[in-house]
Parts: sequence; structure tokens; C-alpha cells
Amino acid sequence: MDVFILLLEGIFVSFEPLNLGLLIFGCLIGLFVGAMPGLGSVNGVAILIPITFIIPPTAAIIFLAAVYYGAMYGGAISSVMLGIPGASTAVATVFDGRPLAVKGEAMTALTAAAVGSFVGGTVSVILFTLFAPPLAEVALRFNAPETFALMVMAFATFVGLGGDDVPKTIFSILIGLALSTIGLDLITGKPRLIFFNIPGFLHGINFLVLAIGIYGIGEMLWTLEETKGKVQMSKLSVNMKEVGRAFGALKKTIMAMNIGSFLGFFVGILPAAGATPASLMSYGITKQLSKNSKEFGSGVPAGVVAPECANNSASTGSMLPMLTLGIPGSPTTAILLGGMILWGLTPGPLLFTQEPEFVWGLIGSLYIANFFTLVLNIALIPAFLMVLRIPFAILAPVIFVLCVTGGYAPTQSLHDVWLMLLFGFAGYILRKLDYPVAPAVLSIVLGPLAEKALRQSLILSDGSMGIFFDMAEKPIAAIIMYIAIVLLIMPAFGPLYRKFFKKAQTT
Amino acid sequence: MSIIKKLALVIVSLSLVAVSSVSSAKPFSPKKPIELIIPAGQGGGADEIARLVQGVIEKNDYASKPVIPINKKGGSGGEAMTYVKKKAGDEHTLIITLNNVLTTPVNQPELGIDFFNDFTPLARLITDTFLVWIATEGKNTQGVETFDDFIALAKGNGLVMGGTGSMSEDELLLGMMRGQFGFDAKYVPYDGGGAVAKGLVGGESDFTLNNPSEQMGFYQSGDSKALVMMTPERNPAFPDVPSSYELGYPDLEYYMMRAFMAPAGIDAEVEKYYTGLLHTVYHDNEFQTFNIDDGKLMSWLEGFGLKDFLAIEYAKHGEIIKNFN
Repeated sequence: MDVFILLLEGIFVSFEPLNLGLLIFGCLIGLFVGAMPGLGSVNGVAILIPITFIIPPTAAIIFLAAVYYGAMYGGAISSVMLGIPGASTAVATVFDGRPLAVKGEAMTALTAAAVGSFVGGTVSVILFTLFAPPLAEVALRFNAPETFALMVMAFATFVGLGGDDVPKTIFSILIGLALSTIGLDLITGKPRLIFFNIPGFLHGINFLVLAIGIYGIGEMLWTLEETKGKVQMSKLSVNMKEVGRAFGALKKTIMAMNIGSFLGFFVGILPAAGATPASLMSYGITKQLSKNSKEFGSGVPAGVVAPECANNSASTGSMLPMLTLGIPGSPTTAILLGGMILWGLTPGPLLFTQEPEFVWGLIGSLYIANFFTLVLNIALIPAFLMVLRIPFAILAPVIFVLCVTGGYAPTQSLHDVWLMLLFGFAGYILRKLDYPVAPAVLSIVLGPLAEKALRQSLILSDGSMGIFFDMAEKPIAAIIMYIAIVLLIMPAFGPLYRKFFKKAQTT
Repeated sequence: MSIIKKLALVIVSLSLVAVSSVSSAKPFSPKKPIELIIPAGQGGGADEIARLVQGVIEKNDYASKPVIPINKKGGSGGEAMTYVKKKAGDEHTLIITLNNVLTTPVNQPELGIDFFNDFTPLARLITDTFLVWIATEGKNTQGVETFDDFIALAKGNGLVMGGTGSMSEDELLLGMMRGQFGFDAKYVPYDGGGAVAKGLVGGESDFTLNNPSEQMGFYQSGDSKALVMMTPERNPAFPDVPSSYELGYPDLEYYMMRAFMAPAGIDAEVEKYYTGLLHTVYHDNEFQTFNIDDGKLMSWLEGFGLKDFLAIEYAKHGEIIKNFN
């Protein structure tokens, strides 16, 4: 098989001393930028691009891909240990990772994150190796109506996300959607909802600002109230029994791994979506399909595995359209794409044949980067756990500083820091009133994607919604749309269904 | 930077201070990192050039302080321009331009930006051109071989054009062509030139008016073809594509300028320093090769020539916008 020879050559390329050294170095940097709130893979890669002018393109892409990859792993660390999403891609990891840590099962959460990431990353790179060209064709046929249908499907899974209180969940979704419309109108380019004419609103509400505010500041306030500044957990031991328990818990997460890997990869190869929506959607769908969906949010390993698996899978997936079509599948690949052009490569359909060493070197390096980050992460778990032994009175100011820098970093604007603090207090109050906040965070990410796809589709169809249900012309869109409707109705009938199902089981 | 280099720098700057105290003219050099504001998102054309300039400066140590690119993409450049306007007199801020610096002050008068008095133009480095692209296997553009075929087809049928957003360069161009050739198209906005190119090849749109680099991959693979380039002459990167002058449409000429500006109210010495820095970057081998291969036109312009050019372009864009609505 041609593919395997090429892949082997690629793996050899990534074992060259310079490449291997850069790969390991890149993974470490990635872990760091991923774990630092506000510094995600986007910033990490953007900052490092100028350095890559002095090394060959293959080494450069291996290095930057390792940074990208490591960041997917690293994001989980601060999500679990501090309750601040380390990167936008790890926001969904907070949902269950943080409660697990608070319950004293941080070890399980970190193991689940590392293993989940490894599985997602490996499955996707295998899919990438085997099916890159046909998948590029799929990405090419996936246009505005299909994207909107997919977004509707994602929103449908959110309704079940906030537990049984559907009205409160819908309220939360609508708040997120309203916030996502602030800034620039996506189609006409006119400013929209610029409160008090403050220029900072022109770039909209950055989703990380909301997530760091709600989860970082809100969580900090909440924990301060609960622990009164004392050490959060006193009993924390790392022994073989704990390790065994952590790995044992993974048995129940096989479904989450499957959903995360395949959904993540698929969302990743679609243009403009990327790892953040993929991880959020994977969480929503896993929860929806899980037998014990009610426990999600209170700390289940599957709730950590689903998003972590998906974000690694999607980050590999998003390199596919970058390489084969020259379009970024995520914000980070947008910068990588710029890098490729600066290194003198032309991304596009011919890249695989013109630059085999570059392409296959990158693919080969992904296998190795995955393995390396898994080992590194598992080995470092005891070090990460030390964080929980610090009294919260000391930890709280550190978290606060991390939140402020995290809110500032993406746009370098103080305006966003104030907004972040405001969201922090709002998040704290919402939590006191028992409102689910996750759906708001999800909708601020997917809102703009959905709005754009909807309006593009409606321009194409001259305003007719029929474009989404046209089985003859756009079968993919129609099928996804029908699935979405079923998913939307499910939570309403869910309790009825479960009642019926349980009865059938017991008799 | 090595210690010896640093020492050398200190000695040089000390001697410069000594000289300047005699001659009283003080040459400027940056005292802290230089902010390079990009009025567009990461990964776009302006971002690419800004990061290339940053890379060339860092790699060759052209400046004594680092250059930090900052994306402020909000409000079609409105956010970036408001930011630079507020920085009047600041000696460590630069902005790279897209043509949105010419249109946004007109389209968004509420921002209160005065294009001619709020900025200090430094230099234009590059101009980027536009082409009319169709998909080689486009289902609605079958049999179209030349630009005239295309005009004939577009007049009768409402074709779909993919573009980079409302009031962006390519939508203004569509407006220009509507006036010149009497056809209209359904305009669908996408996220950036790459997505526009994909929409064309994926069959969602019938034609696009993309920059050379945005469609290069699909051009080389034969998935899309160009009918005309909106310049007086052919471009070496696209030898088989006729220019609009050749086809007898000299009015169909349009450029995207990649220029740099500083805030208003900076000293002449500061202006001179940055213009000099950009000039060094412009003549850098790597910078030249990259841009020429990418189909861009190297077109250095500074001083009064640049001011005239900007005034003409500003008036031209005002006219296009007026006719647009």
C-alpha cells in the first residue's frame, strides 16, 4: 500500500534529530500555553511564527503542529485543577472536570483527559492517513445550508444540557445568543448593539472573556464561600490503588471516546468550525445519548473524555482542509496557513503530490506527538495534583491574576477585562439562582457560526427555508436537519421514554 | 542579541546623543516594542503581510525593539482606526492598511474618523490585484472561455458571487462592474478569501473576485480559472490571464494597497525612522521573492506621492460607495 510507505517515510522524517527535538519542545510549549488561561493554541502559534523563518518548512510545521497539539492536552489541566478554562477548546472540560476535582477525584479527571485526548488524536490521525482525499471532497461539498443544519443539531443537544429545567436552559441559551450578536453584523458589516458607543464592543464579546469570567471568577467566588479559604482537599494520595481506580473509570467512557473521536474529526474538517465547537458538541451529544445523562455536570469521567477526545480529534481534522483546500478549519490553522504561505508553500489540492515530505512528515509527527504528550501528561499528574494542596486563600489571588491576564491576552484590551469581571459576578449570581451557565457559553460560540450560515443560505434561496429540507438538491443538509428535529424533541419526551423503558426492563 | 552587540548599540547611541547635542537634530529610535495594528482578523491577507514584515525585521534585526502585531478586526477596521486615532503622538504604534481604511470612515461617520488628519501615512509597499474567477467545472458557467463570454452570460442570468463581506473590496468591485457592464449578481459573503475560493470550487457560487494568493492553490490544480486581471499589464504569476487593458476595459482597474501609517502628531524624525525601516524591509530579498511569487505588485511609494495617491483613492472609493446604494 502506497499510503503506508509514505506514512513510514513521514515517521522517519519526524525522527530526524532537529524534527524530533522541535516536536518535543513544541509539545512542552503547547502544554504550557494550553494550561495558561487566555494563552491558547492561537496565540501560541501566532507568537512563534516568526521563529519558524529560520528552520526548514517541514521542521516548522512539525514544531507548530506540536504546539497546537500540546495545547489541546494542556487546556484540560487548568480546567480541572483551577476551574478556569485554560483555552477555549477546554471550556467543556470544566463542566465535569472541575466537579470531579472538587469531589477529590482530580486524578481520575486528569487521566481521563489525557487518555481521551490520546484516543481522539490517534483515531483522527488514522482517519486522516487513510481517507484524506475523499474527506477533502466532503468538506468541499459542505456549504452554508449543511453548516446551518449542523448548528441546529448542536443547539438541539444543548436543550438537554441544563438538566430537567428546560425553561432555565432556554433562557441561558438565549442570553448567550444575544451576547453573540454584539459587534459587527456578519453580513452587512454595520456595527450592532454597541452599548454607549464604547469602541471595545466593536469586536464583539470574545467567548473566552465570558467563559473565563463565568468559570474562573464565578467559580472562585463560589469556592471562597464554600471553603472559607481553607485547603480544598486534604486527603490526596497518589498510589497504585488510585491509579488503578482512575484507569478503571475509563471503562465507562468508551461511548464518549467514540462520539468524541468521530464527531470531533468530522466537525474539524468543516471549514471555520474547529476544536472549540467540536468539544462542546461532543459533550452535548454524549450527554444526550448517555444512560446516566443526569449525572453529567456533577463530575463524570465521560464528561471529561467527550470534549477532550473531540478537541484533539478536531485539531487534527482541521489540518485536512488547510492542507488540501487551503482553507482554515479553525482559528489556529488560519495562522498555520499564513505560515505555510510565508514558507513558500502553496496549500491546495496539489500539495500532497508536490510536497510529500512536508505533508507526510507532518502526519507522521502527529502519531509521535500524541504518544509523547500522553506519556508526559500521565507522568506529570502528581505534580499537577500539588495545586490542590494549596490553601484556597492563597490560590484565589493566583486564579484572579490568571483570569485577568487571560481576559486581556486574546484582544489586548482592558475593556475585555472589565467585561470578564462583570460576567464573573453575573455567573456567580446565576449559579446561586440555580441557572445552568454552560448553554450560554455554548451559544456564544456557535451563535455567530449559525447566524452566518443561516443568512448565507437564505441569500442563496431568496429567503426560502425550503433550502434546508430539500432532499433532492441538498440531501446532507436535509438529513442533518431531520436528525436535529428529533434531538430537539427528545428531551421533552425523554422522561416519558425512560419511564417506559425502565418499566419494560423490570418486567 | 549578544552582549557585544548590546554594548555596541549603547556606544553607538551614546555617540549619537553626543552628536545630536551638537547638531540639535535628534535621530529617533524606538524605546519600547512597536505595536503593529492589523485592522483584520488572523490569517487574512493584511495579517499575512504584517507578520511577514515582523518576521523580516526580527530575523535581520532591522529594528532595535521587537514588533508586536495586534489584530483589531472589529467594525471593518473601525476598531483599529479608532485605536490609532486615540494614540495621536504615540511613537510606537503603526497600522497596516487594507482598503477598508478608505471606506470605513465614509460608511461609519459615527466613528468620527478623519482619514486625512488622524494618521501619518508612511509608505506603500505592495499593491494586490483582483481577478475574475470561475470554477473550471462550474455548472452555471459551462462554456465560458473569455471575459466577454462571462459578461454575456452574467447579464441574462442572476449568477451567485462569493465575496469577503459587505462593503469589502470585492463587493465594491461588483458595484463598479454593475455600472460598467450592466449585470448584477447575488452576493454571498464568506469568512475570508480562502472560504470564498472553496465556495466557488465546491459549487456554491458561480464566480468570485479574489486576490491572486487567495485562489492560487485551486488555480495551480486547475480547479478554477481566471478570466481577467484588473491591471494594465499581465502578471508573471498568471501568464495566461489577460489584463483588463488588453481586453479593452481600461476602466476595470482596481488595487488593494498594503501601506503603513502612524498616528497623527508624530515628529518628522519619527516619521523618517519608520519610513526608513519599511524601506529596508521592502528591499529585503526574502520579502521581494515572497511577494512576487505570490502575484503581488511591488510598488513603493512615500512622501507627497503617497499623499496624492491616498487622496485619489479616497475620492474614488467615495464615488464607488455613493453609486453603490
